[in-house]
Amino acid sequence: MTTAIATSELVKTFGSTRALDRLDLTVSTGEVHGFLGPNGAGKSTTIRVLLGLLRADSGRVEMLGTDPWHDAVALHRRMAYVPGDVELWPNLTGGEAIDLLGRLRGGLNPARRAELIARFDLDPTKKGRTYSKGNRQKVAIVAALASEAELLLLDEPTAGLDPLMEVVFQDVINQVKAEGRTVLLSSHILAQVEELADRVSIIRQGEIVQSGTLAEMRHLTRTTIEADTGRPVSGLDQLPGIHDLETGDRRVRFAVDGDHLDDAIRTLSRFQIRTLTSHPPTLEELMLRHYGDELAAAGNGRNGDTHPETAGTGEGARR
Amino acid sequence: MTVTAVRQQAPAAAGHVHGSTLAGTGTLIRFGLRRDRFKLPAWLLGITVLLSLFLSAVSENTKTEEQRQDLSRFMEGALGALFGPGYGRDDVTAERYVVGVYGLFFFVLAALMSLQLVARHTRAEEQSGRAELVRAGVVGRHAQLAAALTIAAGANVALALTLSGVMAANGYAGADGLLFGAGIAAVGMVFAGITALTVQVTEYARTATGIAGAALGAAWAVRAVGDMMREHGSPLSWFSPLAWSNQTRPYADGRWWPLLLSLGLAAAAAATGFALSTRRDVGAGLAAARPGAPVAAPWLRSPLAAAFRLQRASLIWWTAALAAFGFIFGGLADQVADPENISEDRIEMFGGSLDTLVDGYLGMITLLTAALAGIMVFLGVQAVRAEETTGRAEPMLATAISRGAWFGSYLAVVSIGLVVLLTLVGLTTGVGAALSVGDGSYVWQMTTSHLAHAPGVLVLLGIAALLFGVLPKLIGTTWVAIGYGLFVGLFGTIMDMSQSARNLSPLEHTGQPPLDSVSWSTVLVLLVVAVVLMGAGLAGFRHRDLETK
Repeated sequence: MTTAIATSELVKTFGSTRALDRLDLTVSTGEVHGFLGPNGAGKSTTIRVLLGLLRADSGRVEMLGTDPWHDAVALHRRMAYVPGDVELWPNLTGGEAIDLLGRLRGGLNPARRAELIARFDLDPTKKGRTYSKGNRQKVAIVAALASEAELLLLDEPTAGLDPLMEVVFQDVINQVKAEGRTVLLSSHILAQVEELADRVSIIRQGEIVQSGTLAEMRHLTRTTIEADTGRPVSGLDQLPGIHDLETGDRRVRFAVDGDHLDDAIRTLSRFQIRTLTSHPPTLEELMLRHYGDELAAAGNGRNGDTHPETAGTGEGARR
Repeated sequence: MTVTAVRQQAPAAAGHVHGSTLAGTGTLIRFGLRRDRFKLPAWLLGITVLLSLFLSAVSENTKTEEQRQDLSRFMEGALGALFGPGYGRDDVTAERYVVGVYGLFFFVLAALMSLQLVARHTRAEEQSGRAELVRAGVVGRHAQLAAALTIAAGANVALALTLSGVMAANGYAGADGLLFGAGIAAVGMVFAGITALTVQVTEYARTATGIAGAALGAAWAVRAVGDMMREHGSPLSWFSPLAWSNQTRPYADGRWWPLLLSLGLAAAAAATGFALSTRRDVGAGLAAARPGAPVAAPWLRSPLAAAFRLQRASLIWWTAALAAFGFIFGGLADQVADPENISEDRIEMFGGSLDTLVDGYLGMITLLTAALAGIMVFLGVQAVRAEETTGRAEPMLATAISRGAWFGSYLAVVSIGLVVLLTLVGLTTGVGAALSVGDGSYVWQMTTSHLAHAPGVLVLLGIAALLFGVLPKLIGTTWVAIGYGLFVGLFGTIMDMSQSARNLSPLEHTGQPPLDSVSWSTVLVLLVVAVVLMGAGLAGFRHRDLETK
C-alpha cells in the first residue's frame, strides 16, 4: 500500500504560538482517514501546510510524492480541497464559483456536477452573498467532488449542513472511497468519522496523540459493561483493569480495559447474569481519554479520568 | 404571582398597538449612538474642519479686487452652474464664495453621512442577521428605522449648529450662518429619508446606499443643468433637493421657506419607507434578488479571466466616472483659463504664462485624473488583499494555479485597465477641451498626455504590490504615496516645494503634460521601476504564508 500523505516532525509557529508541534501524520492511498481534534488543535493549520498555503518551519511533508510548498500547482491538479469556512464571491453565482474552481483545477465532470447539485439540493443560480453557511459549504463540496481528483482534503466539510445533507455527504464519500480515491476528513463530529473512516488520527495541541484503525484503538481502550445479575456481584474490585465500578443491589456497571475483558466476564458469570449489555468505546470516549484533562480543568470532567502525561495548560494552537 | 403579572401585561401591550410598533426606539437610539461613538463625531469633526480650511483659504484669496474678480469666474456660466446658482457673484465676498461654490461639497458630505448612517443601522443590520436578534426582543416593527432616522436627524442638527458656529467664529453674520448650516442639514435629512425608502427595496446595504447615491448624483445633475438654463436657476432646478438649499441664498438675500420643501420631501420619503417596511419580511427586500447564471461563461477558465471578472465592475465604473469628469472639466477649459481678469496666483497655478493657460489648466486636470487613477489601482490591490483576508483566495490557490499566476493576473488586469482608462479619459477630456477652445488637436494631445501618466501610476501600483507581497498589513500606507503625489501636483508650485521633495512623488517625474513635454527616458525609467516593484511584490508573495482566517 502506497502513502498519499506523509509528514514527519512538522513544526509550524505563529509568533509565540506553536500551532504544529512535531506532527507525524500518515495517510495511505485509497483510505478515508479521519482527522479528529477539538477546535484549535491544529487541524486546519495541518491541512493548509499539506496544501502548500502555509510553509512549515521545520519537518518534512510529502503529498502524493511531492513537496506541496514547491510543487503546489502540479499537486493541486491531482487533489481537491473543501475549506472549513467557505467564503464565496458576492457577485458570482454558486454555479459560476463551482465552474471557476473546477476549471482552474483542470476541469470537472459535468455529469457528476449535475448529479451532486441535485443530490445536495443546491440552487446554483443564487449569488454568493445570498447563500447561507450550509449552502456555501455545499458549493465548495460540489466543486471538490465533481473533479476527478485522486486526493480530497476536507476540512470539517459538513459544518452547517442539516442532518439530511449529512447523510447525502456520507453516501457521496462512500462512493468516492469505492472509486479508490483517498480522503483526509477533518472533523469534530465523531459519528461522521466513525461512519466513514478506515483509520483515524487524533490531534491535540499540534501533535498526533493517537493513530490507527478504529479496531486498534478500541483494543487500547475500555469496554463498558452493564449487567443485571441474580445475586449481588462481589470481587470485581479485586481484578486488574476494572474502572468506574458501580454496584447496586443486583446491578453492576463498570469499564474494563480490553486485556482484562475475559477475566471480568468470567467473574461476572458466576453471579447468574440476567441481562448483559456491553458497548465498545465510542470515539467520544476515545477523545475524552485524550481531552479529559481539559474538560476536567474546565469543570466538565466526567469521571475525573485524567491522564497526567497528557495534561497541559493553555489554549490550543491557532487553527 | 408571576402568572398574574404576565396576564395583566399582555392585554395592556395589545391595547397600544400604535405605540408598540415603536417599542424600544429609545434604547435603540442609545445603542446606535454607542456604536457610532467614533464614526459620527469623526464625520462631524471632519466636515467642520473642512469648512474652517475653506474659509481661511478663501479669505486669503478674496483680499484684493483682482482676486475677487478672478474668483467670480467660478460662480458664472456653465462652470458656476456646476457648483450652484451663483447668488452674490456680482459682489464676491469670502462667505458668499464659500457658500455659493464650496456649499456643494457640504451638501454631498451631509448626504453621504446621512445615507450611510441610515443604511448602516437598518439594512446592514438585517443583512448580517443582527436585526433578527434585536427584533426578537421587545422591539417594535418600526423601532429600528425610527431610531436610525432620529440619530440621522440629531447628527444633521448638530452639523448645522457646528457649521454655523464656525461661520460665526470667523466673523460672518450668525443668522445667515445658521441658514447655511440648516440648508446643509436639510440635504442630509432628505437623503436620510430617501435611504429609509431604498433600504426597503433591496436586500443589500450596498445596493441601498448605491441607489441613494445615484439619487444624489441625479439631484446634482438636475440642479446643474437647470442652473445652466437660466441665471440663478430655472424651474427645472427646483426639481432638485439640492436647489432648495441653494435657494435659501445665505449671505445674499437669506430666506428660510425653501427648506420647507426639503423637510416635506424628507418626511414623505421616510413615511413611505415606514409604510413599505410593513409589506416585507425581516431580511427580505421588496425587490426579490434576481437569479444569476447556473453555469460560468465559457471564457471564465483562467486566473486572468477570473481576475478580470472580479475587477470588471470596478474598472467600468471608474472609467465611466473619470471619463465624465474629464469631459466636463475639459469642456470648461475656455472659461477657467480665460485670461481676462485672471489673478497672478492662478497664472502661477496654470504654468506661469498667459500664453499657455489652457495647457496649464489641462495639465492640472490630467494630473488630478492620474492621481484618481492611482486610487483605482491601489483599490485593485486592496481587493486582492481582501480576497486573501476573507478566505476567498484559499480555495483558488488550492487549485492548479500558482501564487504568481493568481496575483500576477490581478496586476495585469489592473495595469491594462489603467491604460484603457487613461486612453478613454484622455479622449473625453480632449473632446471636451477641443469643443470648448475650438482646437481639434486637443483630442490627440490630451489622449497622449493622459497615457504619459501611465508609468507614474504603475509605480504606485508597484508600491502597493510590493507591500502586499512583503508587508501585507501595511498595504494602507500606499495612501501616503497617492496623497503626496496629489499634494505635490496641486500645491507644489504655489508652496515653493524643493525639487528633491517633489521628486519623491512618482507622479512628479512625468510633469504636467500637455504643458510640459515628457521625455522617453523618464517614461522608461518609471516603467522599469514599476516592473521591478511588482516583480519584488510577486516574489515576496510567493515566499510568505497565505493569511487565513
